[in-house]
Amino acid sequence: MEQRLANSFTMTVNEKQFIQTALVSDIRVDGRRPFDYRNLTIRFGSEDGSSEVQLGQTQVIAFVTGQLVPPYRDRPNEGSFAIFTEFSPMADPSFEPGRPGDLAIELGRIVDRGLRESRAVDTESLCVVAGKLVWSIRIDLHIIDNGGNLVDAANIAALAALSTFRRPECTFGGEDGQELIVHPPDVMEPLPLIIHHFPVAVTFGFIGKENIVVIDPTYHEEAVMGGSLTATLNTNGDVCAIQKAGGDGVLQSVIMQCLRIASVKAGDITSKIKIAVESYNTQRSLKKIKRHNPSYAASKEESRQVNPETKSTRQSCDINSSASTHVATNIGSPEEQSETLKDEVKPKHKKRKKPTSNANSS
Amino acid sequence: MFILFKLVIYENAILLLKSMEVDRLDGRTANQRRPVVCTRGVLHRAHGSASWAQGETKVIAAVYGPKAGTKKNENPEKACIEVIWKPKTGQSGKQEREFEMVLKKTLQSICLLNVHPNTTTSIIVQVVNDDGALLPCAINAACSALVDAGIPLKHLAVAICCCMAESGHVFLDPSKLEEQTTKAFVYLVFPSSTMSVLPQGSEVKEHGIITSVTHGVMAVDDYFSCVKMGRAAAAELSDYVRNSLKLKAGNDLSKAG
Repeated sequence: MEQRLANSFTMTVNEKQFIQTALVSDIRVDGRRPFDYRNLTIRFGSEDGSSEVQLGQTQVIAFVTGQLVPPYRDRPNEGSFAIFTEFSPMADPSFEPGRPGDLAIELGRIVDRGLRESRAVDTESLCVVAGKLVWSIRIDLHIIDNGGNLVDAANIAALAALSTFRRPECTFGGEDGQELIVHPPDVMEPLPLIIHHFPVAVTFGFIGKENIVVIDPTYHEEAVMGGSLTATLNTNGDVCAIQKAGGDGVLQSVIMQCLRIASVKAGDITSKIKIAVESYNTQRSLKKIKRHNPSYAASKEESRQVNPETKSTRQSCDINSSASTHVATNIGSPEEQSETLKDEVKPKHKKRKKPTSNANSS
Repeated sequence: MFILFKLVIYENAILLLKSMEVDRLDGRTANQRRPVVCTRGVLHRAHGSASWAQGETKVIAAVYGPKAGTKKNENPEKACIEVIWKPKTGQSGKQEREFEMVLKKTLQSICLLNVHPNTTTSIIVQVVNDDGALLPCAINAACSALVDAGIPLKHLAVAICCCMAESGHVFLDPSKLEEQTTKAFVYLVFPSSTMSVLPQGSEVKEHGIITSVTHGVMAVDDYFSCVKMGRAAAAELSDYVRNSLKLKAGNDLSKAG
């Protein structure tokens, strides 16, 4: 009860000393080596442009949306994008609702700098009518669980969401051929964004007087560390951004070593993002296939034929869906007690390759 | 002749069956809710957390508490409930304030407020996807999160949504498209069915309605038929909730105390 009454997280002196002493012998509290990342899981929501990233205990959700707006005066041929960071009070007992604090703003700026200055997202392709209408992309990052190293997780979430975002196709039509028609997704296939490269942020923490460096610090290590460095790199070997805001002084050789390690890690993370996006795209195109079997939530475009013969087979129908596990049970009347514990109906036969998404319900 | 006669009867039977089954866009019957996926303990820092998905609508709820002290205008003799609603994109506006108010009042009626006086329990709700019946989904998620946090409750609250179509049919658990095209819909919250130690044959308490929020115009009889359908669905949903929340009990002792 006393632990819960505390509104913020404070570490005891013993805990701090233990972390520092263990690091002198190259041991981290969660058993990792100093340059190991935690487990990275990238999942996608049911809509295009929404991603959920879990890096150890840190969880971040990103949503990408777009709308048509007039462009900035000095850049009439380019679209724009903006990043909004929300440190949700559910992530940490010390996060307050309301205006974003310093940490939130800094995180937003790091992610923004990595994407904007390195021209990772192609803004010229977002132009629809030069000088009049361009696409403005909005990226919302919601930090829902603070397990440490929010910058890296938020950056990966933003990249994953941008890779799966689709904007509607626009054509000119109407009587005079000047009217702009925005086509809904079921009429014309929406277009993905053009992303030239993936700027991946890698964060290092400097702990203690001996300049011990750890990668991907947890929130315990963040409370102990004297300074941190975030390097944003891509797989081409370009350094997109470096952020070292204050903190303990660090030797030049240590910074060079960090950058070398960061480029290796950036390659790892980029390949993980690409694999996840590939599998999402595959499932998405599978969902578009019109199926003969009337099954719940297979495809919204299909028209349903409710045949009396197939009513009995509805319970054992195979349902194909994107990342989350959707299953259907026929609960026609309150007397039926047919469902199992998590409403999951195991399909009796598997004709198609089912998406490997059982990790969602943990 | 007899064979022809039999065929005619068979076709009429099929037509009758088809007319009874009102076709909804995704193939459900009028009385069928979308499948529910409820997961407890999704977050590590929060004292209690749950994610609730009804079809495509998904909400994550987290609970912190009890924390010391109450807010300024709240009664210090009782525990205080604070709700923060985070929309998917954009700033919090009037709609979010309304949801926070309804959620707070609903949860206040199910929590035992006298157990920890002069404390604040915060419930934070994050909308992940909105495909209809958002407020009932959030109420269900918040209740599961409260159970995960170990906050003392009188009983659970089970929320569903019913809508009235133009044709006069009542549909359970509409999707976003159905919500926007029907003439009225109502969110209903019922207390969960009680499993008490009273001996068999004793009076079963009548289920009241904890919360009812309507949108649009509906006749009084239509409202009562919505309530009737909602109550039946809530009874069945509360059995599911009890079973799914019972599983993890006794697993995670680190959050206790």
